[in-house]
Amino acid sequence: MDMATPLPGRTHRKPGYLKRGDRLFAYVILAPAMAAFLVMVAWPFIDAMSMSFYSYTVYDPEPVFIGLDNFRTILTDPYVLGSWVTTAIFVAGTTLLTMFLGLSWALLMYQDFAGRGVFRTMTLLPWILPSTVSAFIWAWMLNGRYGIVNVLMMNVGAIDSPVQFLSNDVGAMVAIILTRTWISIPLFMSFFLAGLQGMDFQQIEAARIDGAGNLRIVKRLILPHLKPVFLVTGALGMIGNLQQFDIIFALTGGGPVRATSVLSIEVYKQAFQNWSLGMASAIGVLWVFTLMPIVIFYLRSLFRED
Amino acid sequence: MFELRTWKEKLGFFALLAVIAFFLFFPVYWALSSAFKANGELYRMDPTFVPHQPYLGHFVSALTEGPLMLQLGNSLVTSTASALLNAVLAAFAGYSFAKFDYPVKKPLMLLILSAQMFPFGVLLISIYPMLQSVGLLDTRVGLTISYIVFALPVSTYMMYSYFKQVPNELIEAARVDGASNFKIFRRIVMPISLPAFITVALYAFMWSWNDLLYSMTLITSDDKRTVGPGLLLRYINENNADWGGAMAASFIVAAPIILIFAVLQKQFIGGVTSGAVK
Repeated sequence: MDMATPLPGRTHRKPGYLKRGDRLFAYVILAPAMAAFLVMVAWPFIDAMSMSFYSYTVYDPEPVFIGLDNFRTILTDPYVLGSWVTTAIFVAGTTLLTMFLGLSWALLMYQDFAGRGVFRTMTLLPWILPSTVSAFIWAWMLNGRYGIVNVLMMNVGAIDSPVQFLSNDVGAMVAIILTRTWISIPLFMSFFLAGLQGMDFQQIEAARIDGAGNLRIVKRLILPHLKPVFLVTGALGMIGNLQQFDIIFALTGGGPVRATSVLSIEVYKQAFQNWSLGMASAIGVLWVFTLMPIVIFYLRSLFRED
Repeated sequence: MFELRTWKEKLGFFALLAVIAFFLFFPVYWALSSAFKANGELYRMDPTFVPHQPYLGHFVSALTEGPLMLQLGNSLVTSTASALLNAVLAAFAGYSFAKFDYPVKKPLMLLILSAQMFPFGVLLISIYPMLQSVGLLDTRVGLTISYIVFALPVSTYMMYSYFKQVPNELIEAARVDGASNFKIFRRIVMPISLPAFITVALYAFMWSWNDLLYSMTLITSDDKRTVGPGLLLRYINENNADWGGAMAASFIVAAPIILIFAVLQKQFIGGVTSGAVK
């Protein structure tokens, strides 16, 4: 069963709409989802937007209107601004690494070889594990004393003594990027694999007759063919990584100190540890504006054919 | 697709395969192997790759001591309920978008899809007091409702793109026979769309089952806690970490979703990639 929208190469039949469409029925069945959206998404966001102009902490019995002060604080506080830098490093690192490995894995899994089916099935595993579980697995592997990564690196002589990966700035960032990449590869591999199904084999055969090698075929034919998939999955990856919370919280809690304190961690700490709801909302609103261009790009490419 | 004629090409291909496969699968193997090691074998500077004396103690204590079974139950109830709720809402909305034409349809659709722009953490700031004011904070019902946020936009799009491929002739024919819109949806459209419905429900189930943030924040009583925060609280804290127990509990928690996927994975991947690959 394949419920995918038409892939490149398939013909696209425009379905049109029911002629005697009952508008009332259409509105009625849309209403529950719309209500859920309004109550659980639209209203909370509007509420957060208005809250961003208030000071509302445990010291304020009622929200106090302070205008743009929260935003002023954010823009002058190097620590909070640092969250954007941390987020950018995490998002760029994770998205690029995921796309590179996801594409490589998709190309490998597109090749026919004995045992491919087993590999393809097992590939989903990192993606379906609960995030706490994935964090546990990597925290144990990267453990500063008995972790297998330390053991292997010491055995090959890369390091002399165990490294406390999660307690130093660079190590913690590398850890969350690796873990998140590990989780995301299966999904990206699936996207690329779906895109590869539309490849024109005659073109590849023709190039081969002209003497093109494997790498050249990847560079000249496959990568250009996958360009639309790259753009959309890149956008999706960035949207997902910009919002990532669970893995980072479970692995590092945003630390050591603030080394992995991305926006999601920052907002969570402001809101549910400091109970500074106004400040949390202000950071959140700026966070949404950071995401907005990518989401708009994604939605536009989604609707281009409709 | 590739032609691996020379030994160099073969070596290159299988070397890359080995490196990525190691990265993807070794962590799972290592966790599983660790779950079966007693502490004496687990905490060693020269670890054994296969447990020399397979040990089930970590599984036994995970299942019998502490609240893991209770938390699994809580996760199962909230995730199943929110998955069904989400799939029903998405099916209705997707059908409305796919088969009917009305003014402001496209803006409404964009509105629902744009929900991906709002990070769950930001929405939570207002969802928390909102649930509090209606008495649903620290309840499984409140958590279930909040989970709708996660999957509804993509689920709606997935149902929409599936319904678009259901031929209009099928529906028109039923109309000629005098069936009402709702009857057509329930008796004709839904039965043939069941695979899509299951995919969407599974997609939503996964979001809720994997959730840490919402459950950690919206649930404060121990007896209502779900597995995500439950594991974190029990196994990893500043003073000590019980890695063998953590690995064993991890596999107990992951087992249900691995089983479901073993059965449904092909169809699932087709559904999820439909949103990105055209």
